[in-house]
Amino acid sequence: MTDEKHYDPFEGYKRLAGIWEKQMNGLLYMMTDNRETVRLMKTGLDAHSRYMELLRKNQELMASFLNIPTKKDVANAAKLSIQTEEKIDLLEEQIWNIQDSLGRLNQENVEMLREVVSIIQQMKTEFQQAASQMAETEKVKKELQELKAGLVDIKIVQVHLQELRKEIDSLKGIKTDLKNLKNNKELSQIQSDLRELKEETAQLSHIRLELGTLKESINGEQEQGIKMDEELVLAAASPSKG
Amino acid sequence: MTVKANGAPFIPGLDLEKEATRWNQVFKIMTGPKPDIISTPRQSIWKKNKSTLWYHPAKDKKYAIPVFMVYSLLNKSYILDVGPGSSVVGGLTEQGYDVYLFDWGSPGLEDSDLTLDRYILDYLEAAIKRAIRHSGQEGISLLGYCLGGTISAILASITDLPIKNLILAAVPIDFSIGIVPDKWLEGLQSGEVDFNRFSDAYGTLPSEFMYLMFRMLSPVYSSPMINLVTRSHDQEYVEKWRRMDKWTKDTASFAGAAFKQMFHDLYKENKLLKGELVIGGRQVNLSKIQCPLFVFSCSRDTLVLEQQSLPVLDMVGSSDKTYEVFDGGHVSLALTGKFAQFADQWLCTRSQS
Repeated sequence: MTDEKHYDPFEGYKRLAGIWEKQMNGLLYMMTDNRETVRLMKTGLDAHSRYMELLRKNQELMASFLNIPTKKDVANAAKLSIQTEEKIDLLEEQIWNIQDSLGRLNQENVEMLREVVSIIQQMKTEFQQAASQMAETEKVKKELQELKAGLVDIKIVQVHLQELRKEIDSLKGIKTDLKNLKNNKELSQIQSDLRELKEETAQLSHIRLELGTLKESINGEQEQGIKMDEELVLAAASPSKG
Repeated sequence: MTVKANGAPFIPGLDLEKEATRWNQVFKIMTGPKPDIISTPRQSIWKKNKSTLWYHPAKDKKYAIPVFMVYSLLNKSYILDVGPGSSVVGGLTEQGYDVYLFDWGSPGLEDSDLTLDRYILDYLEAAIKRAIRHSGQEGISLLGYCLGGTISAILASITDLPIKNLILAAVPIDFSIGIVPDKWLEGLQSGEVDFNRFSDAYGTLPSEFMYLMFRMLSPVYSSPMINLVTRSHDQEYVEKWRRMDKWTKDTASFAGAAFKQMFHDLYKENKLLKGELVIGGRQVNLSKIQCPLFVFSCSRDTLVLEQQSLPVLDMVGSSDKTYEVFDGGHVSLALTGKFAQFADQWLCTRSQS
């Protein structure tokens, strides 16, 4: 054992007391675990209860003679305030219920209004669309009317065209007639032209013959000239040999 | 300063400074006033008669679904909010839960006719409704401790309120198993010992009687004092001890009608287990509980035994149900704040909307 370790007398006492307490309680438990104790307890309880009843009764009696309130009277007065408090609580709960239902109702109303607003906005946009569509329809109508008017014009033009066509057809007939007429005039002219051409051809063949004779004579003269030139060249060349 | 006895090698020295502190503390505690309980930041959102619905906002909110805590009708509310560092409510708000704590209050003579029906429907159900409305969420996690767990289970099976999760801590469901001697239990169950006349005579059972009832369960009760003397040099322990001591001796009174009903329907007839209990004209059938359920007991619990809690698991209709046993005692579960850790472990995955 060292000098630093100190003696604590209560540590041992604590342990002993713990064991002692447990044993004492166990002993008392066993000692009272019998019918006699139960009967004693019943007798004691009944006697005490009777005594208390009598005491309370006398208290009330004396107090009524003296005309003073007892604790019971105060308790009765207190009960009234408790009842009032309970009623206030009930009212508060009812107010909560009303608040809750109003809140729900408000929320439903808000949701409904929101829905109404969205429907109105939707309707507005739809109206705008319808208005623009109407404007377009008006435009289309005008165009259709214009087209209708145009169609009438076209029909008139068509009628004119048909008339023109008829006129063209008649003109074409005239043209063919004219062509036929023209063709007859040309034939006679061609025949006269052909006659002239025949005469000219005969003249040309005569001229050709004359030209042939002329050519032959020219060719003979040319050959003589060449022979003379060759003789002259040969003559010029011979002295130098000598 | 150390004084050594003559037999120094065999008997260690006595630390006089420590002893002086010890006895000084013991004297102060014995003669001084009871400590003030500093609650987790809160605001009252509803009051009815003596009861109050407290709202403890989360320090840094992480979970959408708030927690609604119900403690036993026999205790004072600060069992779940006993002070910084060991508060169950404080632990949960630090984890990111909004917490609602329903304080039953101590009934007076004017409340003598308050029955369990009224406590469950007019007080608890109304409070949960208000908590849900206040939170703006679609549901709530209901957390019941001890008899508050029994009441929570009863309410969960008959209400239409959106209870998302149910936690029952150290909850008595089977009342046929008792912590009192067998002959007493026989006497109580046979009706030989009856509290009807006693309850009527008193109207509302005084808190002194309730304290006496608890003391009768363990008549020799010296261990807290011995623990104090043994560790009174430890300031932190002393503070916790003072708070625990205050709570232990500060029991609530009990409305006579509710006591009679509880005694008759639960302890005597065991109607909850048999499915015969009727609250507000509605049959209490625990199989109607469909929400995720977490039940836990404490290994050293001498007030509510594990066997008393277990039947609820087979009775409920929930498909998501968990049961665990944690190391600790019935009261220490709440007074040490471990309750918040256990609850958070299970709740954290089930508290998003």
